[in-house]
Amino acid sequence: MHGIKRKQWTKELLRQKRVQDEKKIYDYRSLTENVLNMRDEKIYSIEALKKTSELLEKNPEFNAIWNYRRDIIASLASELEIPFWDKELVFVMMLLKDYPKVYWIWNHRLWVLKHYPTSSPKVWQTELAVVNKLLEQDARNYHGWHYRRIVVGNIESITNKSLDKEEFEYTTIKINNNISNYSAWHQRVQIISRMFQKGEVGNQKEYIRTEISYIINAMFTDAEDQSVWFYIKWFIKNDIVCKTLDEQEYLKMLKDLRENILLINNDEIEFSGKQNIWCLKILLVLEDILEEKEALTERSSEQYLVQLIDADPLRKNRYLHLLEQHK
Amino acid sequence: MLSPERRPSMAERRPSFFSFTQNPSPLVVPHLAGIEDPLPATTPDKVDVLIAGTGMVESVLAAALAWQGSNVLHIDKNDYYGDTSATLTVDQIKRWVNEVNEGSVSCYKNAKLYVSTLIGSGKYSSRDFGIDLSPKILFAKSDLLSILIKSRVHQYLEFQSLSNFHTYENDCFEKLTNTKQEIFTDQNLPLMTKRNLMKFIKFVLNWEAQTEIWQPYAERTMSDFLGEKFKLEKPQVFELIFSIGLCYDLNVKVPEALQRIRRYLTSFDVYGPFPALCSKYGGPGELSQGFCRSAAVGGATYKLNEKLVSFNPTTKVATFQDGSKVEVSEKVIISPTQAPKDSKHVPQQQYQVHRLTCIVENPCTEWFNEGESAAMVVFPPGSLKSGNKEVVQAFILGAGSEICPEGTIVWYLSTTEQGPRAEMDIDAALEAMEMALLRESSSGLENDEEIVQLTGNGHTIVNSVKLGQSFKEYVPRERLQFLFKLYYTQYTSTPPFGVVNSSFFDVNQDLEKKYIPGASDNGVIYTTMPSAEISYDEVVTAAKVLYEKIVGSDDDFFDLDFEDEDEIQASGVANAEQFENAIDDDDDVNMEGSGEFVGEMEI
Repeated sequence: MHGIKRKQWTKELLRQKRVQDEKKIYDYRSLTENVLNMRDEKIYSIEALKKTSELLEKNPEFNAIWNYRRDIIASLASELEIPFWDKELVFVMMLLKDYPKVYWIWNHRLWVLKHYPTSSPKVWQTELAVVNKLLEQDARNYHGWHYRRIVVGNIESITNKSLDKEEFEYTTIKINNNISNYSAWHQRVQIISRMFQKGEVGNQKEYIRTEISYIINAMFTDAEDQSVWFYIKWFIKNDIVCKTLDEQEYLKMLKDLRENILLINNDEIEFSGKQNIWCLKILLVLEDILEEKEALTERSSEQYLVQLIDADPLRKNRYLHLLEQHK
Repeated sequence: MLSPERRPSMAERRPSFFSFTQNPSPLVVPHLAGIEDPLPATTPDKVDVLIAGTGMVESVLAAALAWQGSNVLHIDKNDYYGDTSATLTVDQIKRWVNEVNEGSVSCYKNAKLYVSTLIGSGKYSSRDFGIDLSPKILFAKSDLLSILIKSRVHQYLEFQSLSNFHTYENDCFEKLTNTKQEIFTDQNLPLMTKRNLMKFIKFVLNWEAQTEIWQPYAERTMSDFLGEKFKLEKPQVFELIFSIGLCYDLNVKVPEALQRIRRYLTSFDVYGPFPALCSKYGGPGELSQGFCRSAAVGGATYKLNEKLVSFNPTTKVATFQDGSKVEVSEKVIISPTQAPKDSKHVPQQQYQVHRLTCIVENPCTEWFNEGESAAMVVFPPGSLKSGNKEVVQAFILGAGSEICPEGTIVWYLSTTEQGPRAEMDIDAALEAMEMALLRESSSGLENDEEIVQLTGNGHTIVNSVKLGQSFKEYVPRERLQFLFKLYYTQYTSTPPFGVVNSSFFDVNQDLEKKYIPGASDNGVIYTTMPSAEISYDEVVTAAKVLYEKIVGSDDDFFDLDFEDEDEIQASGVANAEQFENAIDDDDDVNMEGSGEFVGEMEI
């Protein structure tokens, strides 16, 4: 692991460690056997529940035990009061702190919330705060982003109020913090699509214009960041943009974008003598759209492909293939 | 004899019963002779190395030698620790100023002191303040920091983050735009400037390998390079050279400046979103004392109030003022300030560092980032009324750093300008800061609207530092209350940017023919005085070079491994948690977070 010092194990230390490890392994194995036996005997008691806690703390990846735990809770459900469910959430949280990327823990948390005796927005609001905190610590944990979508969906259906605007702002904040946040850009794609579908955007043209200047800003800040280019590629080709803008505006947007990309690429050539691969790739996409719209005056695609073969030799054959097609 | 007046020591602040709940072995700050322990009545008859002066370099050296196994006697003629790096109370400063002006402290001149009656007989006591003679900041990625951790000296200390670096230009204090996030969200930067800045930041992180970019400019100035190659304009050029690079003037050459700019950028995000750290309760004074404590644990003997009178290179006997003697089998290392009477070998200290330290009665919290109590303000060449040619640097520390009481602040100003101009530049910088502060405290709430900006996407950016407006037209209503002003000139043999190189220590070393009859210091090695450098960067280099002179090689310089002691019990405790102890500010620091966050600069 990074940043952790390699230990100088002396023979004595190794022996001590082995003794300790042996004990740990023995304890773990007997606990596992014990819990699995109880499961097979269909024992659903608080005592058994405690044993599963003990085992899951040691190994939260053990999905069979999570299943057994749910069986126990389900069969005891009639006797369980709200404090129990709250305690269960605390238990899950404790494990998530140490293992934020284990599917089964996230899964169990959702199950607990689904079976929580009262369905008040407050419970889900708390979850939103939890997932905010998590994404503060690791803004690119896709479990977190996935969970966020579920939490927001639940709040929306309980309150009957769309949170799209807030969620859109949230992606802006996350992208401002770190442009290379794929998850946030992806979330942005989802939300924009939904907002336009549901008619939640007031001045749609203005919205698109603001978004395009945001994109250009990102492009100039880091022209080597893939997540930005992926987003640009989605943005210029998707229906929302095409339909919102009239033909003239759409073409102007594409041409402006082309100018800016050429500016960046020429600057790159002047500075380092190299082409920016992503600039060339998106220029190709732009030309394809413009050609389709019969708005292309001068065609440079072949030239871009030849430059790409040189600049991106790993994908040489792909470019050769495209070059064939273009002819 | 103990010092008549001093600040509570690190051991007294953190009594030995202090313990971390999970940690089985409570941290005990080892006691030090002359502070918590009495001074030894006698000193050893024979030692390997004698070191005179307990400044930063000497203390790091003492600890390195002690842990290497050398028998060290470490003395200081003063009744306090720290020497040229000391952290002193106001009364101690009064004594020090008198000694400087009497000529009994070498390497310092022209000390002028004003102390308000509020200190001592008023609401503050002398001991409420801990003033550093040569204040420093610690970059998060630096050689000293790794030695602090390796030696575990960091456990005796408490650190706070420092993230606010301001450039003063056109009567404004601009906050730095130096992270990718800030560059991306800045509404005022032109697009091409954003690109050029980012290009430079990416380049500088790995500049040495990209010779094709900088080599053609190797002999030219950094501002030429930034202007021609990266097409950056003056505000960005000045920010990079003076606030991020903390360089001294526009003549700085490309490699030196690149080195220094990278230092800042690679330090960013090592422990959190800030590049540097400051130690609480005092800077080099605390750190040097920490190393002395470590050296003492390693077996070094400490004696204060001990003045070296002479060393005889033939008999290898050093004589002290109280008549005691010690035989030194290896080397005698002396700080220039501790040179014996009739010494003839003290290296020439030809460079001046002018310093002005002020205590102001004003909390100045608007200068700091939230949760912090430190800031750097840089006055680039030509930015001041005095038409300064060299930079004036102002290092600001608030009450949170525990060096001054609540409601007060300490300003450490310094410049590398030589001669009488220096004082004019420093005065002009002081005036600029004073005006900014007055304007700030009188402006009231009506200006708050200007502080909050709306971005294109409708959410607000709060300008954390309210100093961005021009205050040319502003006429102050009241004068600032200064509690303390200390002006002095310090001399050093290290030029600005100078690297301590090994040959410096050869001056008095080579052959007996260099001995001067009648000199009291034949055969000794002098250390260097602190330079104008605001970071600790020179310390380890200097200590390492001296170490090599004594031991023969620097291979085992701080080759320590304390891990084994609690290895088995603490098998779950990663190194990261030890780092965390070094940092006081839990909220700002995310050591555990994601793997990417720690140790790697992410832009």
